[in-house]
Amino acid sequence: MLRAMLRDLRAHLGRVAMTLAAIVLGVAFVVATWVVSDSAAATVRGGAQRTDLAALAQARTGDAVIPAGTVARLGALPGVSRAEGVVEGYAALVGRDGKLGTTSWPATAGTDWDPSQRFDLVAGRGPQHAGEVALEQQAAEEAGLSVGDPARVLLGGDRSDTATVVGVFAYRPAGREFDPAVAYDADTATRLLRPEGAPDGATSGSVPGFARVELFGADEQAVAAAARAELGAGFTVDPGAALRQEQADNAAEDGDIIRKALLAFAAVALLAGVFVIANTFNMLVTQRTRQFALLRAVGARRGQVRRAVLAESVVLGLVGATLGVALGVGLGLLAMRLLPVAGTVAYAVSPWAILLGYAVGLLVTVVSAYGSARRAARVSPMAALRTDAAVPRRSLVLRTALGLVAVAAGVALVALTSPEELTEPKRIQAMAGAVLAWFGVLLMAPVLALGVLRPLARVLRRGPVTRIAMRNAVRDPRRTAATASALMIGLSLVCAFSTVGETMTADLTSSVRAAVPQDAVLLRAAAFGQLDDTVRAKAAAVPGLSALAAPRTGELLVLPPRGRNAEARFTGLEPAGLGTALRPTVTSGSGDLRRGVLLDARFAADTGLRVGDTVRLRFGTAGKDGAVAPVEVSATVAGLHEGSDLLPGVLIDEALVPDGVDGWGDSVYAVGPDHGALRNALEQAFAQRPDVVVQDREQLLDDLLQAFQLVLGLVYVLLGAAVVIAVFGVVNTLALSVLERTRELGVFRALGASRTLVRRTVRRESVVISLYGGLLGIGAGVLLGGVMQYVILANPVFEMAVPWPTAGVALAGMALVGVLAALWPARRAARADILAAIAAE
Amino acid sequence: MTTFDAAVSAEDLTKRYGSGDAQVTALAGVTVAFGRGELTAIMGPSGSGKSTLMHCLAGLDTPTSGRVWLDGSGRDGAGRVELTGLRDDALTELRRDRMGFVFQAFNLLPTLTAWENITLPMDLAGRRADAAFADQVIDAVGLRDRLSHRPAQLSGGQQQRVACARALISRPDVIFADEPTGALDSRAGAEVLGFLRRSVDELHQTVVMVTHDPVAASYADRVLFLADGVIVDELREPSADRVLDRVRSLESVAHGGRVSAGAGA
Ligand SMILES: Nc1ncnc2c1ncn2[C@@H]1O[C@H](COP(=O)(O)OP(=O)(O)O)[C@@H](O)[C@H]1O
Ligand SMILES: [Mg+2]
Repeated sequence: MLRAMLRDLRAHLGRVAMTLAAIVLGVAFVVATWVVSDSAAATVRGGAQRTDLAALAQARTGDAVIPAGTVARLGALPGVSRAEGVVEGYAALVGRDGKLGTTSWPATAGTDWDPSQRFDLVAGRGPQHAGEVALEQQAAEEAGLSVGDPARVLLGGDRSDTATVVGVFAYRPAGREFDPAVAYDADTATRLLRPEGAPDGATSGSVPGFARVELFGADEQAVAAAARAELGAGFTVDPGAALRQEQADNAAEDGDIIRKALLAFAAVALLAGVFVIANTFNMLVTQRTRQFALLRAVGARRGQVRRAVLAESVVLGLVGATLGVALGVGLGLLAMRLLPVAGTVAYAVSPWAILLGYAVGLLVTVVSAYGSARRAARVSPMAALRTDAAVPRRSLVLRTALGLVAVAAGVALVALTSPEELTEPKRIQAMAGAVLAWFGVLLMAPVLALGVLRPLARVLRRGPVTRIAMRNAVRDPRRTAATASALMIGLSLVCAFSTVGETMTADLTSSVRAAVPQDAVLLRAAAFGQLDDTVRAKAAAVPGLSALAAPRTGELLVLPPRGRNAEARFTGLEPAGLGTALRPTVTSGSGDLRRGVLLDARFAADTGLRVGDTVRLRFGTAGKDGAVAPVEVSATVAGLHEGSDLLPGVLIDEALVPDGVDGWGDSVYAVGPDHGALRNALEQAFAQRPDVVVQDREQLLDDLLQAFQLVLGLVYVLLGAAVVIAVFGVVNTLALSVLERTRELGVFRALGASRTLVRRTVRRESVVISLYGGLLGIGAGVLLGGVMQYVILANPVFEMAVPWPTAGVALAGMALVGVLAALWPARRAARADILAAIAAE
Repeated sequence: MTTFDAAVSAEDLTKRYGSGDAQVTALAGVTVAFGRGELTAIMGPSGSGKSTLMHCLAGLDTPTSGRVWLDGSGRDGAGRVELTGLRDDALTELRRDRMGFVFQAFNLLPTLTAWENITLPMDLAGRRADAAFADQVIDAVGLRDRLSHRPAQLSGGQQQRVACARALISRPDVIFADEPTGALDSRAGAEVLGFLRRSVDELHQTVVMVTHDPVAASYADRVLFLADGVIVDELREPSADRVLDRVRSLESVAHGGRVSAGAGA
C-alpha cells in the first residue's frame, strides 16, 4: 500500500515540487544560520590566540593610565621576565582619498610596535625609527595604502604625522581589546600618541603613562598574583589563560548572538513554510479522495491510510531536508565569503547544522501533514462510489473561536499596560499580547477571507473574469487563507519593523529638529571618533560665530535630598551654547545652565525631584593611581527638559564637570548670523582635518538615519525568505486548484472563453489571494509595529507612524507576486484540453 | 448533395486518432448538412464516432481532413464561415457568439449562480442579454425561482435546463447537444427534450443532438445513423418505434457486413 502511495507521489512530482521548495528554503535558512554563526565564531577565535602573555594589567576605569614607574616595578617582580607597557592613543589613518576610513575603532587608534605576539606581520617589517609606520591590514586596505606608501596619520591635539609604511600586520588582541590602525616604534609612539601637557579631556594617552601592561613569565598564576599584590585595588590583572578563555567565550558569544538573531528569522520562514506545506498536503489529499475511499473499500484500516499519508510526508521531508542542508551549507559558506571580514575566514560546518537541518525538515513536514493525514483517514469507503466525493471538511467554528479568544486576550494584555509605567515585566506582557493577537489573526484568516472577499465578490460583478476569479478565491476560504497567511507572516513582520523604524525616524527627526537650529553648522568626528578640545577652541575662534555648544556625555549618580540615589547620564556643555546652538525642550523652570542643572523630566518624575531642589551629583573620575575617585558636585535644579538623543540626561555647565571625568563628545554645534559664511569659515578652518566633518543639520539627520535604514534593510532581506516561501505557496495553490478544475475550465473554454481570458481569470484569482495576504499582513503588521514601538519607546500604541511608502510598496509587491505566481498555473489552465475536460465518464 | 438551407455542413470529414498499429479511424469521410430550424439527431452505437463528429462540427476538435462550414445567412447578416483552418481564438469567438452547447453532464460553472451561468456566453462577449427574450427563455425552462441558486443546489434535470437556457439565450446559429439526457431519469429527460423541441418549433432554433436513445431521437425532425465513422442511414419524421427498427436492422447489417467481409477475405 505504501508503495502505491509513493508511486502516486512520484506521479504528482510537479505538485510536490513546490512543497519541496518550501521545505528546502526553510531548512536551508536554518542550516545557513548555523554555518554562518559557527564560522563567524571560528573566524573570531581562529589565528588570534596569544600564547606568549603571562598576564595583563590595566586600570579599572577606561581612561586611566599606568605610569612608567609602575611598569618598571612590575618588571622587577619575581617570576616576571619582562613587563611591557602598551601605548595607546588617538591616531586616525587618512586614506588615499584624503578621507578617514569608514570603520569605527580600528581607524582611530595607534600603538607602539613590540616583538610580542600582538603583531602578526602580513607584509614588510615592523617600524624601527621615526618616519616609519606599520598599518593594520584592514585599515591599510580601506585607506588604500601598502608598504612603501607615505601615510598621513591624524593625532590628538590637532597634530598630524606623515611616515612611510614599512609593514602591514594583523593584530592579536588580548581579552577585550580593539585593534589599532597604526603602530610606531616605541619611542615615536610615546612621542606622538602621548603628548606631554596635551589639553585635558582628550583621548587616553594624553596623560603620560600606559594603557596596559603586558607581563611575561613562565608561571601565569604566580605572575598575576605578584602583579595584583603590587598594583592594588585600582587595577585588574588577568592571567593569560583567563584572557584566552575570555576571548574564546567572546567569540562563542558573538557567534551565538548572530545565531539567535538569524534563527528568529529562520523560525519566521519556517512558520510560513508550515502553512505552505500543510496547505499543499491538504490539497493533495482532497484530490485523492476517491483513491483513499477505494483503499478503504478494499480493506485498508483508518490507521493504515493515515500512516501512509504520514509516510509520504516523511519521504518528502527527507528529500527536502537533504536538498535544504546542501543548499544551506552552500549559502552559509557563500555568506561568509561575502561578509567583509579581514584576514582569513574560517569555515565551519558542524554536524549539528546538518542534524538540525534534517530534524527541522522532518518535523515541519510531518507536523504540517498530520492534519491532512487524519482527514484522509476519515474518508468513507462510500466515497469511492460517488463522483462528487469530497474529503470531510472541518468546520471553521473552532478555529475562529480560538482566534477570537487569542486576539481578545492579546488586546487585553496590551491594554492592561500603560505608557506611564512601562516596567520590564509590563513590556514583556505587552509584547506577548501583541504576538498572541497576531497568532489570533492568523487563526481567523479564513473567516476574515470570507468577511473581506465575499462582499467584494458581490460588489465586483462586472465582467466574467473578476467575478469568476473572486468566486474561486472564496470557494475554499481555508485554502485561500492558508495561502494568504503564509504571505501575511513575512509581510506583517516587514510592516511591523517598518512601523517601528518609521516611528523611530519620526521621533529622531523631530527631536533633532527641535534640538538643533535649522541654520546651525555642525562639526562631527569622522569614523566614530571624538572631537578633542582643540577642535572646539579652533571653532570658537572662527569669524562669524555667535554661539557654540560642544556637549560631552557620560554617566553619573544623582543623590537627591530624599529618596534613593539614581544613575543617570549627563551632558556637559557651555551655558552660552544652550538655547542658542543647541536648544533643549524646557518643560518647566529655566533653561539657563548658569542657574543650575536641567533634569530630564521623566527622570525627575521617577525620582520625585522638582525645580528648586538641591541635588548632589557624583562623578566617577580616574585618580592618578588608576583607581576610581568619586567627586561630588552640588547643584540646584534650575529646570526640567525633555531628554533627547542629542541632549540626554542631566544638563550641566561643563565648568562644573570635574577634571578627569570620562565624557564622550563627537559633535560641536555652532550658530552665527550668516549660515553660509559660518559654514565656509568652518570648512576653511578644518580643511586640513579629515577627521572633522562640517555638516548641516539635515546632513546630520541623514547620517543618523542611514545607519538605521541599513539595519532595517537587513531585517527586510532576512524576512524576504519567508515571503519567497509564501510565493511558492501561492504558485502551489493555484496550480493545484487549476488541476482540480480541469472540467470546469474545459466547459468555460467550450462556451467561448479564449485562452487569454482563462489566463486572466487565474491571474486575477492569484492577485486577489495575494492582495488579501498583503492587506492582512499590512494591517496586522502595522498594529504589531504599533505595540513594538510602544514597548520600545513608550509612545502610545496608536501614535505609531504608519509607514505608508512601505505599505504601498508591499501592496504593489503583492499584486506583482500575484501576477508572477500565476504565470505557470495560468498557462496550464489556458492549455486545458477542452475535449478531455468535457468527455463525460 | 442537399439543397435545403443548411446551418452547419461538413464535407468529407475524416478523423483519425493515434498512428501506426494503434490508429483508430473515428470518422471515415462524412459529408452532411444540418437544416436550419431543424432538430437533427445523430444516432449510432457506442464508439461509432457521434461525439467526434459533433466536436469537429463545433470546432472543438480539428478533423484530420475535410471541411466544416457554419452558415449564418438569414440572421444578422452573418455570413458563411469555414471552421476548418481557423485559429483557436477565432474558433473560440465563433463558439461564444454563434453556437450553443449542452453536454451530458457538468455543464455549469459551480461558482456561478443559475442566472450567471445562463448569461455567461453573453458576458464573455461583453454583451447584454435581451431582457424580453431572456424572460421568455427562463419561463420556457421554468427556472424563474431558481435563478440565484448555485448548480450544487439544483437537481440534475434543473442543471440541464439551465444549460439549455444558456445555449439558447444568445440565439446562436446552432445548438450542439451531446447526450443531453444521458445522465437524467426519463421524466427530467423528457422535460429537456421537450424544451429543445419547442425552441425549434417556436424560436426556429437549429439543434444538433447526439443520442443513443431512440425515444430521444424521436423528438427530432431527422435522424442520422452513424456506424464505424460513416453515415449509413437517415430517417425523417421519426417515431421511437421506427428508430428502434432501424437501429436493429443496422446492427444486423453491420453484423452481417462484418461476417461477409470476413468471408470475402
Ligand atoms: N482522444 C481519443 N484518442 C483515441 N481514440 C479516440 C479518442 N476519442 C475517441 N476515440 C475513438 O474514436 C472512436 C469514436 O469515438 P466517439 O466519437 O467518442 O464515439 P461515440 O461518441 O459514438 O461513442 C472510438 O473508437 C473511440 O475509441
Ligand atoms: Mg460519445
